[in-house]
Amino acid sequence: MLKYVFQELVHRPLGAGCLVLLGLMYACTLFSQFLAPYQPTDQDLEKAYHPPTRIVLKNWRPHIQVYEQVDPASARYKAVEGETVPLRFFAPGEEYRFWGLIPAKMRLFQVQKPHRVYLLGSDSTGRDVFSRLLYGAQVSLSIGFIGICITMTLGFVVGGVAGYFGGRADFLAMRLVEFVIAIPSLYLLIALRGALAEYFEPEQMYVVIVIILSLIGWAGAARIIRGMALSLRQRPFVLAAEVMGQSSWKILVRHFLPNLASYLLVAATLSIPAYILAEAALSFLGLGIQEPGTSWGLMLKQAQELKVFTLNLWWLFTPGAAIFITVITFNVLGDVLRDVVDPRQQMGR
Amino acid sequence: MLPFFSSTSLTCLVRQVLGAVLVLILVTVCGCQEETWSIQRSRHDLPRDAEVSESRPGHYGGVFVTAESQQPRTFHPLVAEDAYSSQVISLFLNGLTTYHPHKEKVVPELARSWDISADQRTITMYLRRGVRWSDGEPFTADDVIFTFEALFDERYPNRYQGQYTIAGQPIEFAKVDRYTVRFSTAKPYSPFLYVIGFIGILPRHILEKACESGELLQKWSVRTAMHHPEQLVGTGPFRIRSFKPGQRAILEPNPHYWRVDSKGQRLPYVNYLVNRYVQDRNTETVLFASGQIDVASIDPGDVVGVRENEKLHGYKVHHRGPASGISFIWFNQKPGTNDQGQPYVQPHKLKWFTSQEFRQALLYGFNREGLIQSVYFGRAELLHSIISPANQRWYNPDVPKYPYDPARARQVLQEQGFRLSPDGKLYDKSGNRVEFEVYASEGSSTTPQILSTFRENMKALGIKVEIRYLDFGTLVARISRHFEYEAAAMGFTGGVDPSGGRSIYLSSGRLHVWNPGQEEPQTGWEARVDELIRSSEETFDLDERVEYMHRMQQIFSEQLPLLYLLTPHAYAGVKTKWRNVQIPPMGSVIWNIDELYLDPES
Amino acid sequence: MLSFLIRRIAAAVPLLFGISVLVFLLMAIAPGDFLDVARTQQDIPEEYIERMEEEFALDQPWYARYASWLGNVVQGNFGESWIYRIPVADLLKQRIPATLVLSALSILFALCIAIPLGVLAAIFKDSIFDRLSSMFAYAALSIPEFFLALLAVMFAANTGLFPVGGLTSMDHEFMPFWSRMVDYAHHLVLPTLVLGMGSVASYMRIMRANFLDYIRADFVTTARAKGVGEGRVMFVHVLRNAINPLVSASGFILASLLSGSILVENVMNYPGLGQLIFEALMRQDEFVVVAAVLMGCIMLMLGNLIADLLLAWFDPRIRLDKN
Repeated sequence: MLKYVFQELVHRPLGAGCLVLLGLMYACTLFSQFLAPYQPTDQDLEKAYHPPTRIVLKNWRPHIQVYEQVDPASARYKAVEGETVPLRFFAPGEEYRFWGLIPAKMRLFQVQKPHRVYLLGSDSTGRDVFSRLLYGAQVSLSIGFIGICITMTLGFVVGGVAGYFGGRADFLAMRLVEFVIAIPSLYLLIALRGALAEYFEPEQMYVVIVIILSLIGWAGAARIIRGMALSLRQRPFVLAAEVMGQSSWKILVRHFLPNLASYLLVAATLSIPAYILAEAALSFLGLGIQEPGTSWGLMLKQAQELKVFTLNLWWLFTPGAAIFITVITFNVLGDVLRDVVDPRQQMGR
Repeated sequence: MLPFFSSTSLTCLVRQVLGAVLVLILVTVCGCQEETWSIQRSRHDLPRDAEVSESRPGHYGGVFVTAESQQPRTFHPLVAEDAYSSQVISLFLNGLTTYHPHKEKVVPELARSWDISADQRTITMYLRRGVRWSDGEPFTADDVIFTFEALFDERYPNRYQGQYTIAGQPIEFAKVDRYTVRFSTAKPYSPFLYVIGFIGILPRHILEKACESGELLQKWSVRTAMHHPEQLVGTGPFRIRSFKPGQRAILEPNPHYWRVDSKGQRLPYVNYLVNRYVQDRNTETVLFASGQIDVASIDPGDVVGVRENEKLHGYKVHHRGPASGISFIWFNQKPGTNDQGQPYVQPHKLKWFTSQEFRQALLYGFNREGLIQSVYFGRAELLHSIISPANQRWYNPDVPKYPYDPARARQVLQEQGFRLSPDGKLYDKSGNRVEFEVYASEGSSTTPQILSTFRENMKALGIKVEIRYLDFGTLVARISRHFEYEAAAMGFTGGVDPSGGRSIYLSSGRLHVWNPGQEEPQTGWEARVDELIRSSEETFDLDERVEYMHRMQQIFSEQLPLLYLLTPHAYAGVKTKWRNVQIPPMGSVIWNIDELYLDPES
Repeated sequence: MLSFLIRRIAAAVPLLFGISVLVFLLMAIAPGDFLDVARTQQDIPEEYIERMEEEFALDQPWYARYASWLGNVVQGNFGESWIYRIPVADLLKQRIPATLVLSALSILFALCIAIPLGVLAAIFKDSIFDRLSSMFAYAALSIPEFFLALLAVMFAANTGLFPVGGLTSMDHEFMPFWSRMVDYAHHLVLPTLVLGMGSVASYMRIMRANFLDYIRADFVTTARAKGVGEGRVMFVHVLRNAINPLVSASGFILASLLSGSILVENVMNYPGLGQLIFEALMRQDEFVVVAAVLMGCIMLMLGNLIADLLLAWFDPRIRLDKN
């Protein structure tokens, strides 16, 4: 069934486009350590607020323009005429651990120290925005994914059990769901975060955020799944399975799950944006990922200073664009998926 | 059935657009009204002891607008715990004395003069005669007595009870006659004149009933300011006209204010003082840079950007010199164990933290100069002492200094028995890897930058440092209640008189952060500091006091329990149309708001 | 109808009860407390802090505080804000109208833009207009709210066309009545735009989808056969039916508005419930947090209730008494 969905998806240009874009983004995240020229914490105090370095072609090879600071009391840089430094590909840089396991040194591109290649400029301590964007992607993109998996699982279990067994289980489950939905989400998020954060190390804030996002998100999914389970329950093949003596658990997994899979898929795709935005909002408020970690929301928070306004440091706003592109891609993909899946659902199996 | 859609919804859209255009037109038309800010001046008699201002006489008119990043939480001096509430309160209440930031000494306010007895334990204060409250009632010694009685009343806990308790005994006060009050302290206490001016004198005729019935602290709250601002009666230059939480406070001149200019005109000159509430310092700077407010404090990194618009909006950015606060990283040196029998600091780490040379080495290895360049664009200086260089009277410029010298840092560490392994890790004599955690709260935007540089610098020395950010409240709990931390970073504001910092300097002090609340000083140098503080508080000779304070700073900079960070330069922007502006090196830019007037040409 | 109302209210009470317990519990788990700031002030003595602890009952376990709070609530007293020292009810009374106005205006704004766009998109299905507006809908949905708020503030600061945040101008209280109304409007433009933007997209898509559904409905074909003009068919018959889901969607949208208002109010300095809650949560002003969260939940429930009532009013097919 999923193969069918996938084929349909690829046939539609919008769907294919989204898949490709998302695939690219997640691939970049997997290889961000290789693609980023610097570590996200790599400072260069003499190149604060540096504009993006221009790339020029010299002898058919790419070079970067060298800049000098015009006025040490301000963040103004001027290109030094004629001086360029060659861009080296597949060159060794600062050591890192690929996927946290394999030590490696190779990076996609580097320049000779002490020069720096800032594809997207630098922030207030001279850290490369492009590198931070890539590392931040690891956090911002994966949080949605992992959170969704937990949420959908929880939602399926609770909703499925409630719809299938009915009676007391249903009543309790639905009251719980209503309880969670009754509180405006950001209020609950902030309160949960305030309560739980102390018990975790700051590196583990990532885990905290995933947990609290999932704790809030599962309710909506559970409610809908329960409705679908209720209707599925009356279907002949379910009744047949019961008569044949299959255990409830097996019925849930073997019969309910495949029927609900397409809905789950659509709901998951459409919910990831909400999680990404929620993480960004939390980090923006200072309640999410914190230094020395990086995430897109945190970068926007740090960009919120006056200097950005007056000195026109537009490159510090690129995380906003990154969030925007990711979210809109997921939304479009989700819609196309829904178009693919919907007619099938109405027809039944 | 559907009321909104009687015709097509397109028309609705069109109407919406037209409406918006109409609104815009109306706004531009109505925005051009200046006559709304006029006021009627009073013609009351001047008090007998009116103070004549030494500034150039000016003329009435104008509206002075400031922006505050926090709003007052209360209008009651006994309840106020934060600086912003105190700031507003000082606009409509006066103390007996005040501090003149340029003369750098205590000057009379509601007390016109005073005598100090021979044994230096009794101070007789002579109050200004003829002063009236803003509602016209006369001000007398009864109000002063009332204020101090309320202050010491057990039913009303407040911060002043502790402040006015000298050597374990509350100060004694008695009315001598209608305009004279006598104070006595258990021991001679030199900061007395400065400290006595902290509390705003309260009007007895307004608050006496509440005080007796036990409801004193409920009065003068935010609610009072919102609905009955006329009840906030004071002797200060202004009175509250209106207060809208989250938006602004508007203050108007006190028609009975006791200061005049040399031409006999009653101060203040401005028709209105407006405090706009904004959510952070950033917004304050944006507002100033777009010409919407008259004064602002500018961060060093914003100076260039703000200066760009100087001609356009008619203001000037002034350099005030270093800021008055101090900031530092320190190590937990508290010995002993907690309730569960666990030591506060692991013993091998405690050995490092209590080693003076270890601390000195780390400061040598910290590139604070580089931070000055990048984060502050050169507009900051190294902090060398526990008192900021902004406080020119008390600062000791000859303390030992620790410029960035990584080679020296490594040498000192080596001398102490630390050794560097081939893969760049530092180990102590017993073979433990040198590593620790620093807790901080993400207060300002510069803190993470400073701390991440510290971490990188320590990495170069082979030391592994983790920076952990906590909510401010959690941080405070850790360092002052549970003592569960290894190192932390914080800052304190600086006052004009070092007596304000005694809880940091004294070994028994609550803010003696590396080892607070000691019953007996645990080290020789801490005992010496305690003695110096004690001596400085008992002598009224200013030069002697300064000498003691200098020695105290010397000891602190040698022992280095606090690794000093930086002090950024302070900048203030003021619109050029205001006259009599005298920006002091420390304190509020508009300390003499009552003397500011508009240039006639503007 | 009445029994429906009673049932809803009866269901709401245990819910609110449970929420208040949860909030108290969360605040108790959160480390530190309200007095932490006071503890770092250099001149506040230990005895004063101990006295404050007693007064706020911070040295007692959370359920003791909850019990006394509950007792007070039943008598109509929601406690006092520790930060401002005024009754919580006063504080809320002052802030809620601002957020209510902003939310209501945002929904209205969203509807006024979304309905025409959605209808036109449905009528001209698959045209350039349709695709463009659907792109716009996606964009509006995807942009992070706080980012949009940031951009709006930048826009206001750089062009000066709109005020940089706030609810009123400085000389607001000196203005005559009409100028004051205009002043409010002027300040509300940008926040409404920012907050409403996301809702526009949701409404538009629902509108378009439902409109399309109804276009193919039987009664429409009948009306056309009867010779009713195309305009009347579209805007009277189809629209009336297609509007219904929008009404129920509004309940959902209100939830996201309340959450979004925390971000927008903070960035744009708009003094409403969102700003109050954020500050109270940060400073751990317990009574304010509980009351504000409960207020938010009540607003949400009311919104849903009103949506359901409106739905029943419009659509005679829905009978509230049937569960």
